Amino acid sequence: MIGIGGQPLFILPFGDIVLYFTPFTLTLFIFALVFTVLVIISKPERQIDIVFGGDAYLAKEISISDMKFRRFMAIACGLASMGAMVTGDIFDFALFTSLVGICNVGIVAAVKSRHVQNAAYQYGLVAMSATVPLFAGAAIVAATTGTLSILQLALPGATKVPLLVKALLTLGVMGEGMAPFYAAKAEMFRAPGAPYVIMCSLSSLLIFLRVIEVVLTV
Amino acid sequence: MWNEYSVGLALVMISAVIGFLALLREQDDLHRLLIIDLVEIPSLAIIALLGTDLAEALILPGLVVGIAELLALSQIYVTKEGLRKRPVRGLHIEVVEHAHAPVIIPALLVGYGIVLSGFTGGAVAALGAIFFVMSRGSTDSYELVEMASGIAWAAWIASFFVFMFFPQYWYAGVMGAAVGILVKVAAKMTLVGSMWGEAE
Amino acid sequence: MIISRISRFISNFDNLLALFAGACAVLAVLFVLFLPLPYSEDQLYPKEIDESSPLYPYERGGTPFERADIHVQYPENSPFAGYVTAYLTPFSLALSRLTPHAGTTIVAHPGGILDEILYNTRGLDTVVETTILFIAFAIGSYLFRKGS
Repeated sequence: MIGIGGQPLFILPFGDIVLYFTPFTLTLFIFALVFTVLVIISKPERQIDIVFGGDAYLAKEISISDMKFRRFMAIACGLASMGAMVTGDIFDFALFTSLVGICNVGIVAAVKSRHVQNAAYQYGLVAMSATVPLFAGAAIVAATTGTLSILQLALPGATKVPLLVKALLTLGVMGEGMAPFYAAKAEMFRAPGAPYVIMCSLSSLLIFLRVIEVVLTV
Repeated sequence: MWNEYSVGLALVMISAVIGFLALLREQDDLHRLLIIDLVEIPSLAIIALLGTDLAEALILPGLVVGIAELLALSQIYVTKEGLRKRPVRGLHIEVVEHAHAPVIIPALLVGYGIVLSGFTGGAVAALGAIFFVMSRGSTDSYELVEMASGIAWAAWIASFFVFMFFPQYWYAGVMGAAVGILVKVAAKMTLVGSMWGEAE
Repeated sequence: MIISRISRFISNFDNLLALFAGACAVLAVLFVLFLPLPYSEDQLYPKEIDESSPLYPYERGGTPFERADIHVQYPENSPFAGYVTAYLTPFSLALSRLTPHAGTTIVAHPGGILDEILYNTRGLDTVVETTILFIAFAIGSYLFRKGS
């Protein structure tokens, strides 16, 4: 298991699903953990629109219950990314990734602006259709190699996963929140409430880094 | 080398291509949602092609993820389109209207659900509860149902930890998980089934 | 010129889903072209069909409170794997003695190979799955309450 991630520092077994912490995944895990703590303790900021050429400005009012809901979603998103960082099972990784996707939708879905809600809906549709390549990829890994455990697949003598299956997994993770699909998120950033919205892009970045490690290891 | 698995995979992939092409052409938001629900069936079929007991256990999470996202997205769609007023009339079946007789049907369904337990039992019991809500039109005790759902979830997690750390008490674990899932699924489905707006 | 046209297409989020669906369709076509894939014979939790059993098609091997023989990934991590598989509730035990078709409802009763996988050996999967349901339900009910 001398892959891109390095030797596992320690292993946390839950039956067939084994969580492992390599220097790579541990770094990402700590990153997600720190950001989740920041989300828990930080106060939301208000968005202020300033009129150019005058001194008029108006602050957007956001109700407390909206903020509570979005903080809850952001914390759940942080926990989901932590799980996705350290899980050692491909199907479990697919599940954690789709949890990240639906949390991202939830963070912005509470915003009242119709424009933002339309973006959230389109993004949710992509996230939902991304479960197809994601779960299909995981199931084909199990069928062609006979195992789902990344630690088993990384052993030198293990059957290699076909390239197109890796492409399926990567495409699924991209759909759950990355790269060209970032366009919709730029619309989401107009949503007020700073620390929670940043959680969307952070979690997307983390799952994308992690799927590269998975694809290069198996 | 064309084994049965590859033939099946080819068929499923072709149907997935058809679904995705439909998604490519569709412009209407609601129809997109419906087509995605259709496209998810090939992914379940690919899991099923595994053909082992593991496949059956993997289909359940796959199915639940699809249903959950469909639930959330359809609610976002309703909010986005501003479909506020959704007047729904209660069921106008003569037996259902405020009679005492239908109580027996929910009671039977809930009882049978408890005998079955697990996911299926939860669904059957929820059917009974929805029928009760429909016939009575009462929406007062929703907080109670939500609380029951939360407690059941906690019981479920507790039995997961029993399995992981005290495997010798597996019997307590399996019973806790079965009851937890029964109550959780029943509560969730009851709420979803009655989440349709105010009756006229 | 062409780049600005592409970026204009991508920046409109109404086209996002079409783009993703196109990518999926292309990948699926490629997949069919590269197809014959090997099927590994050494599978976890293999399925054995015994049509004479009253629990067909969910015959699990073993009697209640004994260990059934199942093929898990890490046997050392689940020392008690196999007990849940063999367990039958008293009700389903009686049913399996009365009728040869108990297998049609057996998945709904506690015990059996599916419960073994879902609760015990791959329990974390089910934890995540119920969490997804919980989050989706939270979104749905929050929006519903806000609307009404």
